[in-house]
Parts: sequence; C-alpha cells; structure tokens
Amino acid sequence: MRVPPKYTQMAAITLLGGATLLTLAVLVFIIAFVLEKGLPGVTWTFLSAEPQDMGRAGGIFPIIVGTLLLPLLALVIALPLGVGSAVYLCEYTRETRLTRVIRFGTDCLAGIPSIIFGLFGLVFFVGILHLGWSLLSGGLTLAIMILPTIIRTSEEALRAVPYAYREVSCSMGATRWETVRRVVLPNALPGIVTGVMLGLGRCISETAAVIFTAGTVAAMPTSAFDSVRTMAVHFYLLAREGISNEKAYGTAAVLILAVLLVNLAAYWMMHAFIRRRAR
Amino acid sequence: MHAPLPTTDAKITAHEFCLFFGKIQALRNITLDVRRNSILGIIGPSGSGKTSFLRAINRLNDLHPACHTEGLLQLDQTDIYHPQCDPVALRKRIGMVFALPIPLPLNIYENVVYGPRLGHHCPPRAELDMLVERSLRAAFLWDEVKDRLHTSGLRLSGGQQQRLCLARVLAMQAEVILLDEPCSGLDPISTAKIEEALTTLKAQHTIVLVTNNTKQAARVADETAFFLMGELVEHGPTQKLFTVPDDPRTNDYVTGRFG
Ligand SMILES: Nc1ncnc2c1ncn2[C@@H]1O[C@H](COP(=O)(O)OP(=O)(O)O)[C@@H](O)[C@H]1O
Ligand SMILES: [Mg+2]
Repeated sequence: MRVPPKYTQMAAITLLGGATLLTLAVLVFIIAFVLEKGLPGVTWTFLSAEPQDMGRAGGIFPIIVGTLLLPLLALVIALPLGVGSAVYLCEYTRETRLTRVIRFGTDCLAGIPSIIFGLFGLVFFVGILHLGWSLLSGGLTLAIMILPTIIRTSEEALRAVPYAYREVSCSMGATRWETVRRVVLPNALPGIVTGVMLGLGRCISETAAVIFTAGTVAAMPTSAFDSVRTMAVHFYLLAREGISNEKAYGTAAVLILAVLLVNLAAYWMMHAFIRRRAR
Repeated sequence: MHAPLPTTDAKITAHEFCLFFGKIQALRNITLDVRRNSILGIIGPSGSGKTSFLRAINRLNDLHPACHTEGLLQLDQTDIYHPQCDPVALRKRIGMVFALPIPLPLNIYENVVYGPRLGHHCPPRAELDMLVERSLRAAFLWDEVKDRLHTSGLRLSGGQQQRLCLARVLAMQAEVILLDEPCSGLDPISTAKIEEALTTLKAQHTIVLVTNNTKQAARVADETAFFLMGELVEHGPTQKLFTVPDDPRTNDYVTGRFG
C-alpha cells in the first residue's frame, strides 16, 4: 500500500524538525550547564589576575593571553600557506594524477588525531630544532595540524566559484592572478572563512598537542620561546588533577564565551565584506 | 601554400585555419577576412564551430588543455598564435559578449570598469566615471541604471545584464568585439537595443556576431558567413548570401529547409 504524499511530507517535516530541535537542545543544554556552573566565578579579578597556587586561587589572565596568542600564531602561519596551496592547486594546475594524490594526502592528514601532530611537534620543533616547549613550537605544530583543513575547505570554496566568472575575467585580458585576486578569492571568501573558523576552533580546543609542544607554564610569556598555557589546557589540568572545580568551570565559561565572540566577529566581518562588495 | 592576400582592409584574417580539441576537429580550413569597421555575421546550426571560431580569435580556447591549432589566424596582419604573441595583451584588444549574460558578482559600476582597471596603470576616478557613463549610454543601458550604479549587476533583468556585458566590453575600448549569440535569451526590445548599439558601434569597432537567428544576421551584418560542421560553406555580402547564395546548403539553411 502506498502512503499518500501528504503523510510522507508530514513525517519528513516531523523527523527533520525533530532532529534539528534535538541538536539545538543538546547544544543549549551543554552551554547553559557550563555557564551556570562557571559564570559565578567569572569576576574581573578572575579575568585580570595571575593564577596562584597552581590555579587554586587567583585568575587566568596569562592563560587568556596564551589562548589568544597560540591559535593566532598558528593561523598566521597556516592561513597564507593553506589558502596559497589551495589557490595553486585549484587555479594554477590542471587536474592530474599528482593533484589527486595531493588531495588524497591532505584528506588523510585532516583525519589524523591531533596527538600524532603533537608527537611530531615534540620530536621535531621542541627537540630537533631546539625550540623547546614554547609558543613557537606550539604555533607551528597547530599550524601543521589545521593546514589540511584550511587547504581542503579553501579548495572547495574556490571550486564553488562559477567557472564562467574566470572565463569572463580572462576574456577581458586579466592575468590568472588578477582573476584570482579580483573575482575568485572574494567570492570564495565565505567558504574560506568557514574553514579558518573550523581550524581556529580546533586550535582553541586542542589540549594534547598543546601540552606536548607549548608546555603548561601558566605565566605571562615574554617571547615566542616561552611556554604558554591555553584555557583548554588549564581546564584539563584543573579538572584532571582535581585542583579546583570552581576555577575549572570558570575557565570553561570564559572559553565558551570567547569562542562565541570569535565566531560572531567573523560572521559579522564576512557579512560587512559581502554587503560592501555587492549591494 | 600561398600567403593570404595583403588586403590592408582586413582586421582579422583566417587562412586555412584549423582547430582541434584533442582528437575532435572543431574547425576545418577556415579562410576568411573580417573587414575593419564592419559587422560579420556567422550563422550555422549548433555544433558547427561558430563559438569555437570566436574563441579562437581571443585565444579563449587556450583554457582547454588539449586545444591546438593549425593554419593562420591574424589580427592586423600579425599572427594571433605566434609564440611571441601575449594572449593577455591580445584579449585586451578583443572584447567578448557570451551567450548567457554573465555579470561579474560586483556592482554595476565595478562591472563596467573591470577591464580598464586591469594591468598596471588604472585610470583616475574621473576618467573611469566618464567611461562608465559613455559605455552604458552606448549600450542603451544608462537611463535604466544611472541612479543605481552601486547595486549588484546580478540584480538586473536578463536583457539589462546582457547590455551590461556589452557596456563592460565597450569600456575596454577594444578594437574587436565578439558576440556569441548575445540575444538568444532576450526579449525583442532588448534585442532591438543591442542590434541598434551594434550598428552604431561598428564606426569604432570591428564586430563578429554569431547568431542563431538568421533574421538578425540579415538585419545587422554587412557580411555573413555560413558554418556547417566545422567548415565555412559560404561567405559574402549579407544581401547576396540571403538572396542568391552560391551553395545549395546555404540556401537550404537560410530558407529554413535545413534539418
Ligand atoms: N571544450 C570543448 N571540448 C571538446 N569539444 C568541444 C569543446 N568545445 C567545442 N567542442 C566541439 O567543437 C564542435 C563545435 O562546437 P561549437 O563551436 O560550440 O559550435 P557552435 O557554437 O556552432 O554550436 C562541436 O563538435 C563540439 O563538440
Ligand atoms: Mg555556440
């Protein structure tokens, strides 16, 4: 017996709507849970003071700084490399066996657990290059970790730009680079930003690879060769060692708010850019 | 093989020109001249190589990996496919309007100044402003968009978009304008406007117009060429081609008796 379309339609709406609702509910629950436990401890002192007694008392100021610096450094390294590679692969090479191998390789790299990158960073940057547990070692390691994600999402974004635009631009006497800079990249920007935000998210939430390469020193870094601690690492250590649940949740609350803020800022910036380009 | 006759009147000269996409031969021994400041209409059933011929003139076929050519294709008596010919510089002298209107995802103003802004010396703002107005007027679009130059080109109607594409080409101040079935998706009024623009534009430009509408060729072209399966069947003054063609296949096509 065939089910009338009216009912399948209703069933589809119910199921899909339900799935969406469930996802949202879980998300809201987690955020509310963490904020509820953490926010009371988030005071101005907590945000602006140095931690004391291994984090049992005091604040998380140097840790906030570390959380800003480390992903930023990773991004500064990975963004030009990643977008550059994507542009090269997508705009300057023809589809050959080599580009397929490269794409397969980046896909594999994107799926490798972060701890492997951490181990590599520990051996190579910390050890062989003698960079020590430092901002620099951590930044380089995280950069390598997010590079495949940035390359692949940027490549997808570039490929989504209609081929006709390239043809039109080329027919007007634009060089390949002019076409990339004036037409392709601006149109691929939203997709590239998405990839960058994914990468940034992974950097901010990373613990294992960071502990291996940037160390865990919870003091203000004075140079790129100083160890730093990020909020995720701080939370992990406080909770894991049972140092202070209150401070751990406070850190988590700040972390969630920070991630929310970064996403909002990126979203807003991207929309301002799109509005300015094509009104 | 004898050299093409040195007719200084010819802006574009093809001599025994062949074009291949890999093993597929899209053009066979095309020999024809396009007179300076004239409109050449190209007609023929689809798949006969009209688009390929246009894209050979501005070397847009180069984007296709397996494309290669034989014979000679000249612009102002210099070989377009000579190893020393820079395709980027060549394309700046040759504008193209595509079958589908494809405004770049920029505002109307930016669409028009896209060509002039390329390269190292971008003209000053005042000059660009002037260029935009002049080009949009020549494409019969100015009055419709003068108050919203900074809205996206994608917001225009199909007919307006195609005229924007024409204006964009005019702003390049190219010597040659190639049009590939520019009116195939347009309403009669937009079509009339484009045709009117073309007849005035030939004073400054040499125009090659591919059209799937034989009546359009009859209306605007000075000379017409009939392509069939990659070959040039007949080429001559439009009037003659439509009334007393030499080749029976041409006669069949222009009278609509072609399969
Ligand atoms: N990019 C391409 N790759 C392979 N073959 C092509 C390509 N473009 C055109 N052709 C072939 O060239 C021939 C002429 O096509 P085209 O120039 O588009 O004809 P028209 O514009 O007259 O319809 C066709 O047989 C077509 O299959
Ligand atoms: Mg065609």
